[in-house]
Amino acid sequence: MSRAKRLMKELQAVKDDPEANVNLEFVSETDIHHLKGSFLGPPGTPYEGGKFIVDIEVPMEYPFKPPKMKFDTKVYHPNISSVTGAICLDILKNAWSPVITLKSALISLQALLQSPEPNDPQDAEVAQHYIRDKASFDKTAALWTRTYAPIDILEPKNNVDEADLYGIDKALIEQFLSQGFEEAKTVEVLRRLGIKSMDPSDNETANRILEELLK
Amino acid sequence: MLSEHTIPSDYDDEGDEFIDFESYYSVEDTDLNGFKDDSDFDITSDMNSDDESGSRISFLISTQDSENLGKKSSLSGSEERGLPKLNYNCLTTDQIYKLMLQRMENLQPIFNIPLEDMIILLQRYGWSEERLLEQWTEDMEKVLVASGLRTAKHDKIKRGIKLHPNFMCHICCESGEKETFSLECAHEYCLDCYKHYIQDKLPDGKIITCMNCDLALRNEDIDKIMGDNSSAKLMLSSIKGFIQKHSNHYKWCPFVDCNYVIQVGNISSLSEFPRFHISPYVICDNKHKFCFQCGLESHAPGDCQVADVWVKTAQAESANLNWVLKNTKECPKCGVNIEKNGGCNHMTCKSCAYEFCWICEGCWKDHGGSYYECTRFKKEDKNDNVESKGSLRKYTFYYRLFSEHENSAKLDWNLGQTVEQKVRALQENVGISWIESQFLPESIRALIEGRTTLKWSFPVAFYSDPSHNLTKIFVDNQFLLVNAVEDLSQLLQIKEPKKIMEKKLDFYNKARFVKSRENALIECGRDLLCKGICIPQK
Repeated sequence: MSRAKRLMKELQAVKDDPEANVNLEFVSETDIHHLKGSFLGPPGTPYEGGKFIVDIEVPMEYPFKPPKMKFDTKVYHPNISSVTGAICLDILKNAWSPVITLKSALISLQALLQSPEPNDPQDAEVAQHYIRDKASFDKTAALWTRTYAPIDILEPKNNVDEADLYGIDKALIEQFLSQGFEEAKTVEVLRRLGIKSMDPSDNETANRILEELLK
Repeated sequence: MLSEHTIPSDYDDEGDEFIDFESYYSVEDTDLNGFKDDSDFDITSDMNSDDESGSRISFLISTQDSENLGKKSSLSGSEERGLPKLNYNCLTTDQIYKLMLQRMENLQPIFNIPLEDMIILLQRYGWSEERLLEQWTEDMEKVLVASGLRTAKHDKIKRGIKLHPNFMCHICCESGEKETFSLECAHEYCLDCYKHYIQDKLPDGKIITCMNCDLALRNEDIDKIMGDNSSAKLMLSSIKGFIQKHSNHYKWCPFVDCNYVIQVGNISSLSEFPRFHISPYVICDNKHKFCFQCGLESHAPGDCQVADVWVKTAQAESANLNWVLKNTKECPKCGVNIEKNGGCNHMTCKSCAYEFCWICEGCWKDHGGSYYECTRFKKEDKNDNVESKGSLRKYTFYYRLFSEHENSAKLDWNLGQTVEQKVRALQENVGISWIESQFLPESIRALIEGRTTLKWSFPVAFYSDPSHNLTKIFVDNQFLLVNAVEDLSQLLQIKEPKKIMEKKLDFYNKARFVKSRENALIECGRDLLCKGICIPQK
């Protein structure tokens, strides 16, 4: 019962502070376990101009146990699974404390977008991209933000170029397309091998890709 | 002792057995004295010498009972020179905690902070004094802040429980008259929320801090909030973490519901054991004997490798075996395993063409009219056919023996539970003293240990070259131990106190005999391993 009271209070606090640009609402009137939160992408990052929706499940033992949070919006970020939206953040696990609120947790997520921790990754593929080529990573993350998290358009676009989506060099894909391989397969193999671009004279890598493609 | 490999041919006569016992007894007696003297020497010499100086396993046990000490020495069996030894203590978590408190008291002058805070510091550094001292000398203030013993701001608020006429708790958002708790940081929350919070944290064994900052709660704070001795639970969890982290020095007794911890002093000697094909056995104060290396129960005569390979094979094979046992039956005539994969119950063995009924395993011709509804009662298991054909059959055979003795040992264990009552009956009805009645629990221990040795002798037999002479001697020794164990087991079935007292000498003799047979078998098994006749492989 204290949980209901606290949740109502938290919701009110969010409403009273519109400047934080954080939003919090119940999914349905009858279920106080399940909420959706949202916040804006931090300025000066590839996530700027995006609105990110987070699915929140409040356990019975709240606030003594942390809420379960995951991104509904697809995000390209080392600490967030690009597939499931699962979040790797200590305050949502062992560093949780009852004084943390849903609002402060959402703000922490916002901060996480601002400063990724590629050395403690949730999504290894993305983290690798981040470490190897920050500029290319930023481009991809920004594309994901425009594609999946536009503030004004609710429905995400689906006709995005696969190569762009994973930050893979177009020329590299073209090279294999011209050899008669399918695009989807090529992208899949390049993602698996973690190769985003390649020096045209690097025969060893080219052979490795070919080998995978022919499997 | 070496001559025990060969079997006394005339032992099965009752009278001879007695004489045998006498000689074993006197041998052990002298050994025992020798051991006592030696062990004193071992302890002192161990301080500054390496493992080579040791003569054999020496037992440094916290028990005061010298009789137990003697018993343990005879258990170790191999009183040979040149074998590695293990120095260990058996401790309870309470004792470990007390030891730590003692050491903390010794350390206190260096730190010059309250003992309560010392506990927090050591908790923070996983009870590693070296690491703590190192960091402490480097930057004292940093250690204090990191451990939650200092606030950045020094408010004048006293920590503790207060009563507020009107308080709004930020955790539960309830307001009204409330008891609250806060540390010097003035982050104040209602007592109910604090209770809930601490309850969740106790099993983690980590420092519990203020909900809003890193300031640590002392054990006395926890006890004040939770009542009673709740911080003890936190300390227990903390110690558990410590033991887990230092598992090469400390091991929990693996027996069910046993909470003793074995602490080994000279772990460097552990690596010496495999060379001699013996295992570093330790015995906790509940008399549980286990291997400090692999954590299994006593698995002599097999060494750790035999035990490891055997257990892994058993796990891998048990699925197969279970399937075979569950889905197949042996042809009643020729013993071939048959799987029924459909169809009617009229079976014809492909091997010997015998026709039989799947349900009752009887001859099909005798069935008369009730072909498809066999109502005849299923006969007792006929799986006693033990000729070993093929490796699975051989394995199945040994595995069955292994598990049979395992089951018997379990039953004996239950028997041991009733022994307490028998001892009491002896004291009340026959009027003998407690110390005099100890032959009963000792006999049951001898029985269980004998069975365990017997059980683990089957893996050794399984992996040994059957054509070798020594293997044959080993099997003969097994047989002798089986007889000795069964004899003792029968004796322990006696219920009337008077009869038990009459047979007191018998109990002694038979228990001693089991022990000497056990030692002989263990030595023989070790010989098999040392000479490469027993080679465990998957």
